[in-house]
Amino acid sequence: MPWSLYLALKQLFPAGKRFPFFTAISMAGVMLGVALLIVSISVMGGFGREIRRMIVETQGDLQVRAGTYLVNVEAVAEVIAGTPGVTGVSPFAEGVVMLQHNNLPAFPALQGIDVERINDVIPLNRYIRAGTLANLDDDSIILSSRLAYALGARVGSYVEVYSPLLLEKIKADEIMLPRELEVVGVMEIGHQSLDSSVVLVTLRRMQELYGLGEGVHGFSVKLAAGADPDAVARALNQRLPAVAPRTYARSWMDSNEDFLFVVQLEKNMIFFLLIFIIVVAAFSVTSSLLIAVVRKTREIGLLGAMGGRTRDIALCFCWQALIIGVTGTAAGVGLGQLVLHNRNHIIATFTKLTGSEEALVRFYEFSNLPAHLSSQDFWLIVGLAITISTLAGLLPAWRAARLEPVEALRSE
Amino acid sequence: MSDAVLTAVGITKSFLSGERTLTVLRGVDLTVKSGESVSIRGESGSGKSTLLHLLAGLDSCDAGTLHWAGSPRTNAARRSAFLGMVFQSFYLMPELNGLDNVLMAARMRGRVGRRERDRAQDLLQRVGLAERADHIPAKLSGGERQRVAVARALMNQPQLLLADEPTGNLDEKTGDTVIELLLALSRETGTALVLVTHNLAHAVKTDRQFEMHEGVLSPVAGR
Ligand SMILES: Nc1ncnc2c1ncn2[C@@H]1O[C@H](COP(=O)(O)OP(=O)(O)OP(=O)(O)O)[C@@H](O)[C@H]1O
Ligand SMILES: [Mg+2]
Repeated sequence: MPWSLYLALKQLFPAGKRFPFFTAISMAGVMLGVALLIVSISVMGGFGREIRRMIVETQGDLQVRAGTYLVNVEAVAEVIAGTPGVTGVSPFAEGVVMLQHNNLPAFPALQGIDVERINDVIPLNRYIRAGTLANLDDDSIILSSRLAYALGARVGSYVEVYSPLLLEKIKADEIMLPRELEVVGVMEIGHQSLDSSVVLVTLRRMQELYGLGEGVHGFSVKLAAGADPDAVARALNQRLPAVAPRTYARSWMDSNEDFLFVVQLEKNMIFFLLIFIIVVAAFSVTSSLLIAVVRKTREIGLLGAMGGRTRDIALCFCWQALIIGVTGTAAGVGLGQLVLHNRNHIIATFTKLTGSEEALVRFYEFSNLPAHLSSQDFWLIVGLAITISTLAGLLPAWRAARLEPVEALRSE
Repeated sequence: MSDAVLTAVGITKSFLSGERTLTVLRGVDLTVKSGESVSIRGESGSGKSTLLHLLAGLDSCDAGTLHWAGSPRTNAARRSAFLGMVFQSFYLMPELNGLDNVLMAARMRGRVGRRERDRAQDLLQRVGLAERADHIPAKLSGGERQRVAVARALMNQPQLLLADEPTGNLDEKTGDTVIELLLALSRETGTALVLVTHNLAHAVKTDRQFEMHEGVLSPVAGR
């Protein structure tokens, strides 16, 4: 072990001292900064991932959409299915309708799905909380949970559906009755806006409500694990014009670009702001090491008198900063993991204390706080924290290196 | 000349203090032979410490030449092997215990093994502190600290020992034992010793005595 490292360790953890107070304080700053970064970035990452998962699971890995609608459904589906990387295709038609139950109105987005094929693309079964997907036929409907709750509908209830076409006809003084559909299922995706605004019917029912005939608006497509959605979308866009003009494939990243950009930006901003906590902690490391340099002026002079080179004397203080950085970061990672592990407990306690449980779910749209830390973010935090706190040693090291041994020894 | 451990010829040093230059050393000549002990006395401010720092290669002189064992290389890399220093105020590392303070000298030369440990333990034994090896300096008395410092100065088996008023902070009796120890150890190990002291009784115990007066070093007549 080089003597500079040995002395650095001894100065941080002196012999005969049970608790290295100065070191602990310096470390605590770095630790808190790192813990805060880890927790915040994990939660941001968790939201991001949850959102991505939700997008993929409700839309498929990519969607093929017609300019208006397609009638040669099977021909197009065949072309899509024949594209490398594609493992599932399911047609859909969609539109807004008015729903009524017990005279309570709602205006959800109605998705017409192909009951046979939907499970190839979207794991809908996983989200059904009551009833079953298998019972969905042309005279029934599946409601999302919050919508069902708001309307007071449950499995077995009947809801009335008014499509725009129907309203058009009513305006033309035709006597039309709304569709009565039986609720056969309630689904919950876990995202509030989806859970209060989506209802499912069969594709045929949707085609009838919107007067589409045999037409569909597009296809949800599932890809093989590991396939690049953007690449498959490009391949599809080469093939589609032959069967369906003005029909384009877009990957989920592409079609949610703006949204994902905002999510990413938000995370980057938080990262950028919180990194300054570590910078502040680094300043405290600098000042405590500077104090040590001044306090140890004569010992530093002695190291020179004993043949220590200026470079090694400077290095001794760089080591100290590095050690504080590494231990502080390690402790911060530990503390961060601890907080993340108990995050739902902590939030439950916090919301109980402030009585804000409702608000939490309402604003953040998740019932459980998600957390996800990509290894890239993790190493970025660890790397930056250690780098910044090591830089904090440069000023004290420079000060120590500038001390002339003779001057230092004279300073009695 | 070949067995001269230290050869200093015409050493001159002045400091800039404000407007005027203060000449502290005016052409000091000093040759110390291997194993020899030399003392330097002189009133406060006469330039004894300044000379010692120059001899140790810690500062550069304005004029004159300095050779360590016949070589003009007097840099930090050579210093740790060539000489050991003892100061008035000990300068032990407060975070290291006695043994580690002694070992620090070996550590700075990059080797701490069984042999070095044994040697450090031996030296501590020799200065009568074998039992206190694991005590930090704060738990040692002044005399004990200076004895640790002496052991540290001898750790690397230097050819030259420079001591700047090693008894300055000690009471008379403790001072006497430290000087006895210094002289005995340097004699035993064949280390040349340059001892700066105010104490006449200590000075006369060395082989040769010098006096520093206003930057001029002269041998004490009638030795
Ligand atoms: N870096 C410096 N700048 C200016 N003056 C200095 C410097 N170093 C030493 N001096 C001056 O040089 C003179 C000699 O100092 P030095 O410390 O060598 O004396 P000394 O003989 O060791 O005295 P003492 O017995 O009190 O230790 C003093 O007047 C001191 O003020
Ligand atoms: Mg002096």
